[in-house]
Amino acid sequence: MKKTTRKQKRPLLAILILAVILIVLSVISIGIGALYISPDAVVTNLLGLDHSFEFIIQQYRLPRIILAILAGAGLAAAGAILQGVIRNPLASPDVVGISKGSGLAAMAVILIFPESPVYVLPFSAFAGAAIIAVLLLMIARKKSIQPSSLALSGIALGAVCHAGMQYMMVKFPGDVNAALIWLTGSLWGRNWEEVKLLAPWLLILFPIVCILIPKLDLMSLGDELAQGLGENANRLRFILIFTAVALAGSCVAVVGSIGFIGLLAPHIARRLTGEKAKYLLPASALIGAIILLIADTLGRGIMPPVEIPAGILTAVIGAPYFLYLLKFEARKQ
Amino acid sequence: CLIVSGCSSSQNNNGSGKSESKDSRVIHDEEGKTTVSGTPKRVVVLELSFLDAVHNLGITPVGIADDNKKDMIKKLVGSSIDYTSVGTRSEPNLEVISSLKPDLIIADAERHKNIYKQLKKIAPTIELKSREATYDETIDSFTTIAKALNKEDEGKEKLAEHKKVINDLKAELPKDENRNIVLGVARADSFQLHTSSSYDGEIFKMLGFTHAVKSDNAYQEVSLEQLSKIDPDILFISANEGKTIVDEWKTNPLWKNLKAVKNGQVYDADRDTWTRFRGIKSSETSAKDVLKKVYNK
Repeated sequence: MKKTTRKQKRPLLAILILAVILIVLSVISIGIGALYISPDAVVTNLLGLDHSFEFIIQQYRLPRIILAILAGAGLAAAGAILQGVIRNPLASPDVVGISKGSGLAAMAVILIFPESPVYVLPFSAFAGAAIIAVLLLMIARKKSIQPSSLALSGIALGAVCHAGMQYMMVKFPGDVNAALIWLTGSLWGRNWEEVKLLAPWLLILFPIVCILIPKLDLMSLGDELAQGLGENANRLRFILIFTAVALAGSCVAVVGSIGFIGLLAPHIARRLTGEKAKYLLPASALIGAIILLIADTLGRGIMPPVEIPAGILTAVIGAPYFLYLLKFEARKQ
Repeated sequence: CLIVSGCSSSQNNNGSGKSESKDSRVIHDEEGKTTVSGTPKRVVVLELSFLDAVHNLGITPVGIADDNKKDMIKKLVGSSIDYTSVGTRSEPNLEVISSLKPDLIIADAERHKNIYKQLKKIAPTIELKSREATYDETIDSFTTIAKALNKEDEGKEKLAEHKKVINDLKAELPKDENRNIVLGVARADSFQLHTSSSYDGEIFKMLGFTHAVKSDNAYQEVSLEQLSKIDPDILFISANEGKTIVDEWKTNPLWKNLKAVKNGQVYDADRDTWTRFRGIKSSETSAKDVLKKVYNK
């Protein structure tokens, strides 16, 4: 810890640079897809001076980019909160079972009720995440529970959900392909309707996260210190986990259970800004948005007209980088 | 009051009747009603059975969701055709579809339901059953597609031809054939029987065969032990690319004891033609394939 402060990180500058990168990437991303649109054409189309690509930009690319930014930021922020609360660097929406819960619910809809209307899927996915969250919080409410056992409970709940998914795939072999694509996470076919579905949630949740930021720093000091400073540690943990679950659940409901972002983004952010939550959280959110935006843009652009689901690319980019991070951390110690 | 309302409603009817041009047709599909006018020339198909139907009616689609397999499309239509790939059937590329400026899109009712609204913004879109369709539903879809393409009469002719082909093939089946038959799909780690209610099961029945697995569920996954209990007289195997579970089974005594194996009644069935295409032409090809393989006809 001392080492990092001595290195004189400049967290505000880092956040600013990340924001600029995100904006530049968004403009580039508008141009990439089955039809290439040059950056100057993108700008003239956005300004309304040119209408040649208006339909594609307005109908397909813009909503996807906005959704990638929102969902990436939401998942990353959820990961950063969970890592702070559980005090475990491996905590993330995937690890504590939230993604698995929504995956199980989504799979049930896709495989058992394939005729159900379109809007059922996101709501049931969110419900799945919520059920897991409630179970997790029931365990967390018990006094004096250790954060590590919270992580283990999450892993156990996730394993049960995973078993359920495997069972369904064998028992209802209908459209396993669609179910798998959902599980991987993809922004294909998403448009303004999904943006409208997700944006209100995040508009409520992000301000709540901002209010909670100072508390998150307290939690990372440990229960006893937090209590000594006048906080009810259990209640605080309850609120923070609830917020993280709501964030992750709403994002997963719309884009599917995209992995690695919630785990990876906070780790990268920590290297840039240090541990302080007021810098760490916004930086994580920006990095999460950047990762998902890159993944979705690459998925569109690598082998058109075939799309590669964004979730596959986050895993392909994420897994090796995470291994590198682990090695780096080990060396530091 | 009654008279007035009656009058106004009839006026409305007249009005809507006039606003539609003479050659526009209302197509009933899985999503409701879609109005298609004129004779569509630029058609995009998002399932293989729709390609079969459209091509059968003399139109080459401008865009096909071909899973990036040009060879598969060539196999289906019997020759190389000029078209643009719009990506995979599971995730067709909306940008490419819109850039083709189609005047009709034919989509699968289940697979493409969540992009239905977006497809409608591009062009009139009809959603029909393909993936889970029965043989009869495929015929219904063909009629619907013919109507949408403004080729109703041609569609009826083609269907009559098709029925004749099937009836002729049926006549070739020996009258005393009492062996039962089933088709199974072999994947790397599983074997799935297609029952009497599956698409190919219906083709067997149509030809006059007794199906070995009667069930309302179209598919049934079985182990080698379960297969040996069913012990069909004739077994068609539709194998995925690469090594499959059947290659492992072949060394197993249970396999060698199967009636079909002992009597040399195990045949290959092309995976694409038999289980993926699901169109009128492919059903004829499959039916001919059975007779050729089982009776050397």
